Amino acid sequence: MATPRIGAFICHCGTNIGGIVNVPEVVEYAKGLPYVAHAEANLYTCSEEGISSIKRAIEQYDLNRVVVASCTPRTHQPLFRSVCADAGLNPYLFEFVNIREHCSWIHREHHQEATEKAKDLVKMGVAKARWLEAQQEFESDIYPAGMVIGGGIAGMSAALNLANQGFEVHLVEKEPGLGGRLLRLNRIFTIDKDPRELVENIVKAVGNHPRIRVHMPASVKAVSGYIGNFDVSVDEDGQETSFKVGVIIVATGAQVLKPELYGYGESANVLTQLDLEEKLKDGELGKFQNVVMINCAGARIPERPYCSRVCCMTAIKNAALMKEINPEGKVYLLYRDLMTYGVEFEQYYRDAKEAGVRFIRYTLDALPRVSGTESVEAVKVYDELMDMEIELPCDLLVLATPLIPNDDNEELSRMLKASTGDGGFFLEAHVKLRPVEFAMDGVYVAGTCRWPADIRESIAQGYAAASEAMIPLRQGLVKVEAITAVVDPRICKGCGTCTLVCPFEAAGLKECEIRGLEGKIVSEVNAALCKGCGLCAAACPNGAIQQRGFTDVELMSMVNAMSGKR
Amino acid sequence: MQKTKEIQTEFKPKILAFCCNWCAYAGADLAGVSRFQMPTDVRVIRVMCSGRVPPELVIRALANGLDGVMVLGCHPGDCHYSEGNYLTRRRAHILKRLLTYIGIEPERFQLRWVSASEGAKFSAVVKEVTDQITALGPNRWAEKR
Amino acid sequence: MKATSAELQTRVKDLFEDGTISHFIGYETGSDSLRVAPCFLEGSQEIGRLVWNPVCANNLAKYLLDFKNVPGRVGIMVKGCDSRSVVELLKENQIDRDRVFIVGVPCSGIVDREKLLQVMGISPTQVVAVQDEGDSFLVTLTDGEQRVDKEKVLRDECLVCRYPNPPVYDVLTGETVSRLPWVGDDYSMVKEQEALSLEEKATYWNRELSQCIRCYACRNICPVCTCSECIFDKKAPRWISKANDLSENLVYHLIRAFHVAGRCVDCGECERACPMNIPLRRLNKKVEKDMLELFNYTAGIDVEQQPPLTTYRVDDLDEFM
Repeated sequence: MATPRIGAFICHCGTNIGGIVNVPEVVEYAKGLPYVAHAEANLYTCSEEGISSIKRAIEQYDLNRVVVASCTPRTHQPLFRSVCADAGLNPYLFEFVNIREHCSWIHREHHQEATEKAKDLVKMGVAKARWLEAQQEFESDIYPAGMVIGGGIAGMSAALNLANQGFEVHLVEKEPGLGGRLLRLNRIFTIDKDPRELVENIVKAVGNHPRIRVHMPASVKAVSGYIGNFDVSVDEDGQETSFKVGVIIVATGAQVLKPELYGYGESANVLTQLDLEEKLKDGELGKFQNVVMINCAGARIPERPYCSRVCCMTAIKNAALMKEINPEGKVYLLYRDLMTYGVEFEQYYRDAKEAGVRFIRYTLDALPRVSGTESVEAVKVYDELMDMEIELPCDLLVLATPLIPNDDNEELSRMLKASTGDGGFFLEAHVKLRPVEFAMDGVYVAGTCRWPADIRESIAQGYAAASEAMIPLRQGLVKVEAITAVVDPRICKGCGTCTLVCPFEAAGLKECEIRGLEGKIVSEVNAALCKGCGLCAAACPNGAIQQRGFTDVELMSMVNAMSGKR
Repeated sequence: MQKTKEIQTEFKPKILAFCCNWCAYAGADLAGVSRFQMPTDVRVIRVMCSGRVPPELVIRALANGLDGVMVLGCHPGDCHYSEGNYLTRRRAHILKRLLTYIGIEPERFQLRWVSASEGAKFSAVVKEVTDQITALGPNRWAEKR
Repeated sequence: MKATSAELQTRVKDLFEDGTISHFIGYETGSDSLRVAPCFLEGSQEIGRLVWNPVCANNLAKYLLDFKNVPGRVGIMVKGCDSRSVVELLKENQIDRDRVFIVGVPCSGIVDREKLLQVMGISPTQVVAVQDEGDSFLVTLTDGEQRVDKEKVLRDECLVCRYPNPPVYDVLTGETVSRLPWVGDDYSMVKEQEALSLEEKATYWNRELSQCIRCYACRNICPVCTCSECIFDKKAPRWISKANDLSENLVYHLIRAFHVAGRCVDCGECERACPMNIPLRRLNKKVEKDMLELFNYTAGIDVEQQPPLTTYRVDDLDEFM
């Protein structure tokens, strides 16, 4: 093996790192580390300039290893690996050191210690890089089909998109009908149309599509495998169905909170906005003289600090509608802040005001109070703008409550290894850069199951998720990251420990065919099944099986570097 | 535990934290993104699964003089590789008991579960473990007794 | 042990002569009457070398590994503990069951050489033979006979033996042992150690393991140390340095304890082989105890029982929130 010539690139990341860590000092330090042939600082290593700098340095200094010290590898490792590949260096001769999320961002008040820590981390990264070896990726076929879980507007959009592109789609819906919550709504804001007009066409398109198979009512029972090769088992109305897919899109939606506030559940004249929609749609709502609506009911409070995005517009829509139904009646909308962004929404709000809806602002520390004997009869609210408490007579109280995660999110999350985040909604791979995919390869997300969204956003996300999901489907093969396990048959004693610990049955004992070792029973790893966890490597008594990129030598070198040993 | 020398300067421990890529490392990233401030004594080594960490390496790290070693992985049941952390858990039991048996303070080796969404927990664990190990003082592996 | 040397010789001679085995691993008299050495017989003509008596301490299972590539079938005699080692070797595919013929010899205790000499106040040259008499040993000296209570002179591992009868064998020679009246709490030694303070523990092991000269006799004689390339011999990574200091000694012994975890059957050979009298059983027995308490696992009993560190239960103890 040629002598390692490591290039160390320390990133300022603007002031994100450079403002706390003394980057020039780290560069100087790196220059003195074993096998470092070149070290430099970059303002933004991931920028065009930074990337060119790396390529230039590889050539100029004849580098055969690259270490970048910047942000988390979970974001840019693929980028820098391909930069190396472009420059003619095997992409696995690259090591990432995290001195931002794990250093500068968490030690803002301790610049010197952060700098020392950055040096340590770079030392460890360089120590590991010295041992990295060029690797070849294994390629695996992709099953040309997708599963969409959830037949609401987001799910149907995703399914149609995938199917129109030529792929088979299994759409799994747990209710007996497609369309989701949209079908329970009375009107869609701002176009003030019946949702059935929108939804029925899409439902028909889905039902008639030759490549979409709808499983309904059905729920996913088990998922195993990996991107390109998922084995799914579905409980379809008591019967078990199994099928194979290459990608999975989660579009399971959310539910509306039924709060224990303001007499909901006790008084008959207290409804959520969704209850109101359903009553309006079914023509069951009577005439009311004094409608009071309370927004942010159970939202934007300590237990649930988020804004549910769609309730303001829903409330304004229904408030204007109540005025339309009974022009002489009074409609009050009690709000904390109004989410009516953009041109259309702002106009919608103005129109509602002009139609006679009275908007009253209240604050979190002075919540409205309801009173009444068997039903709600009045609402007291401290009007912030008028600086006085007023009492509003009320014969119908409508609460705008937030969307909350479905009860089966946790179970689905476990089955798919798809993370959930704050409050139980699904968590995407990266809040800014990867909005419709999970960290788990081959699994994507769309719609309100990820975060409250309106129809437009749900449809867009459905398309986006399908679009992302199609990348591996179109490529037809998935490249398995070259961090799988490999056995050295000379050392292996065939004890079978690795075969017992592997969760994927990727390691198996067989007779060796290598010259000189014929007939020796040793372990062998099936690279298609190996997921690169490394359990085998930790269990092997003599280091015969190693995980590429995380070998004993590599990990030990980092430990030794940290402890100041050679 | 009696210290034979007066520690003149404030003791800053050296603590190693193996973090699994899918949960703990992501949780640590989230802690960073959320700007949770933490003591500066921990150095993270990324592994794909907590099950990659061989007990031998923990022993080696302590013998090298590191004051503490943490292994952080997904909550049992949530392992990205479905079972890895269950094995980590079993190994950790044996290792912790063995270390205690030969007179190493059990707090010097800790296994904790931190998920990708638990940035706050990661931060809290780092603080807690740093405090614990600081209180223990420097690693006395093979020290003359 | 009820079988005599003569009975064993007859048994093995038959096995040679009817072609069942081509080699036999057994014991022969050693450098004095209180020692035996492993012997490797190649035919019934050598049968006179074979002995079976209360000083047959060696765990012969280790030598099966030497016969992996020798054609034919090798016979071996195994006590209870030795047979348990064979179970562990079978679990790890280190021996081919079909190419091994196991002669099980039930055993009710092996003499500890040093204890016997001390209790009787004699020197080894005075000893002619030792015979098993149930609860005592009959020691034939140059100038007469003496009986001594087994409990006083048994090897430490025999005092806590739970498996006097081999769990795996093709044929049994000698009567099965039904009771070992001296066996009490298997783990009293470990519990005594566990009760010490952290400082006392460290002092104890630092003192004991400072004596280690890293001769690797413990590893070499251990029946479950079967790796042809041992991790301690590796250069990349170097798990321990060549330095014979306490720090590296601690690493060596802790790692080895981990490597034999769930495989050690407490045959006691490591401690017997150690030239520095390091209490190695006191270390490995701790892991054995934890395996039993945490995972309900005992090594060397059932070939089908999966090594505890290769499996799990969802409800395993979890102290690590």
